[in-house]
Amino acid sequence: MANIISNLNKAFDSRIRLGIMSVLMVNDSVDFNTLKELLELTDGNLASHIKALESLEYIQSSKQFIGRKPNTQYAITDEGRRSFQEHLNALEQLIR
Amino acid sequence: MEKQLEDIKAIREMMEKSSKFLSLSGLAGITAGITAIVGASFAYFYLLRYPGATDFNRFQEMIILLADAMLVLIISIGFALYFSWKKAKKKKLKFINKATLSTIYNLGIPLLTGGIFSLILLFRGNVEIIASNTLLFYGLGLVNASKYTFEEIHYLGITEIILGIAAAIFLYHGIIFWTIGFGVCHIVYGAIMYKKYDLK
Repeated sequence: MANIISNLNKAFDSRIRLGIMSVLMVNDSVDFNTLKELLELTDGNLASHIKALESLEYIQSSKQFIGRKPNTQYAITDEGRRSFQEHLNALEQLIR
Repeated sequence: MEKQLEDIKAIREMMEKSSKFLSLSGLAGITAGITAIVGASFAYFYLLRYPGATDFNRFQEMIILLADAMLVLIISIGFALYFSWKKAKKKKLKFINKATLSTIYNLGIPLLTGGIFSLILLFRGNVEIIASNTLLFYGLGLVNASKYTFEEIHYLGITEIILGIAAAIFLYHGIIFWTIGFGVCHIVYGAIMYKKYDLK
């Protein structure tokens, strides 16, 4: 049991980070506003969680311009996908 | 334990919400089905049952048939948009998102191809095969679009394809298969989806 719990990733303890990762697992890339609406968050709240996931290199961002408006797209990294999958497996084993 | 279960539920919900067109309403299916049955009844009793019994010539009959089909299509799409928009509002989903556009695009290509092909068949006088043709292309479109929306759409698509093949085999009863496919099937699947997803 203790062994399985240690497989749970602390970075995904927060429901918001879990949400961000879930969205990025099934979408190639998602912009800031879409994430905000999906997770029903404020700008600041979302930005701080994104920053945390970016510094772990679980997600990556790319800036582009749509007309004159800057638009930031987020995507999951290989490392992020692997870590999230491990976390999912651990969750599933725990409830079994 | 509770938290882990809740986490998994949240993950699944967020994955679906962000990648699937979930505003599609079961009521859209039910109204499309009713409209199709009314349209097909008109075509059958007014034009097809006794060919040549109307005062119109063959070309005029073709135009009436086309207008009937277009009216069914427009009314069905109108209701589908209206009910789906209402559902999106009720469930606080975004009506136009990536998944909505993917669904429309992936359904649209086979549907448009089938529509143009049907028009060609109509004006070449191959009226008998049109019922089969519309069922086949519509079914293929649904299967194609189903990965962006509810899984029931996949099975509805398969059903339409089977009916389309049957309509080609029993060529002179095409209208019966068309009415089952576009009428009865829409009502049945619409009701199932309404009960399963909309009432919650």
